Amino acid sequence: MNAPGARWPVAALGPIARARALAAAVPGAASAEGVLDAPYDVAWPWVADLEHSVPRFDAQVRALRVLERRPHGDAEELRIRATSFGVSLPFTVRLENGFCLMQARRRLYLVVMAAEPVEEGARTRFFHMEAVPLPGTRPLRRHLRRAVAADLRNLTRLASSGF
Amino acid sequence: MDALVRELMPYVGRVCGAIALDRGDDAMQETFVAVLRNLHGLREPAAVHGWVRRIAVREAIRVARAARTEVLDPGALDRGAAPAVDLDAVVDVRSALAGLSPEHRAVLVLREVDGLSEAEVAGLLGVAEGTVKSRLHRARAAFARRWAR
Repeated sequence: MNAPGARWPVAALGPIARARALAAAVPGAASAEGVLDAPYDVAWPWVADLEHSVPRFDAQVRALRVLERRPHGDAEELRIRATSFGVSLPFTVRLENGFCLMQARRRLYLVVMAAEPVEEGARTRFFHMEAVPLPGTRPLRRHLRRAVAADLRNLTRLASSGF
Repeated sequence: MDALVRELMPYVGRVCGAIALDRGDDAMQETFVAVLRNLHGLREPAAVHGWVRRIAVREAIRVARAARTEVLDPGALDRGAAPAVDLDAVVDVRSALAGLSPEHRAVLVLREVDGLSEAEVAGLLGVAEGTVKSRLHRARAAFARRWAR
């Protein structure tokens, strides 16, 4: 009777809920959420191609290069380098279906993107968070809020035009 | 933080699913918000499992109570002796659980799924051991009554 029988109802933490939970807990996080006018099967693979997608919707990122990628269970782990304002930062990335966590070395910068199909997959709910989770960075938050809002606007526009 | 979420996901999913039922996903999100926000206050990392269990049960009951429209009082279903039953033999545990209050579901899941003793369940829920015994008795009886239909 003590065995967790498979018939007991089990709740799930979807990619968006997982991202929201992280955003609620990470100090200095700024986030934006919206629905993209593109099917999930199109939108997520496009976003997950970080090298091409991020510089197109994130105005702060001039270039992103994938240095290494390897499978890790159901996910992929990537080492990337992103160039922003002339500074090149290395990140480690965990990429899953609908979830992407990018973490700069020494947790200098944190980015989370999450997506889920809505309207039977015809459209895509998208969540985007950025944070500089270091003490004394609260003044940066307003800038981050503007940045993630702009990213979401760009992504929404790109999705509407078929990427 | 995300690694901890991934590690705890299956366990929290079982607790929240069994207590909050259709609102289990919401309860799970609320659990992780509370866990991650308060992680810095956890003095003993070794106690993380028990600490998370307490938060998951609390959030699942809270979310389920907020969502509750009409729930049967298991005490009204059967105040007789609780027969010994094999819970894993139930085809539709969910529908049986839906007839219980969130508090009764919490006692049941902590005993039957988590394997806690009645004393441990009482400590976790902040109620007397006698209350746990009576809730468990009523929950099991309500289960048995529903299966017998």
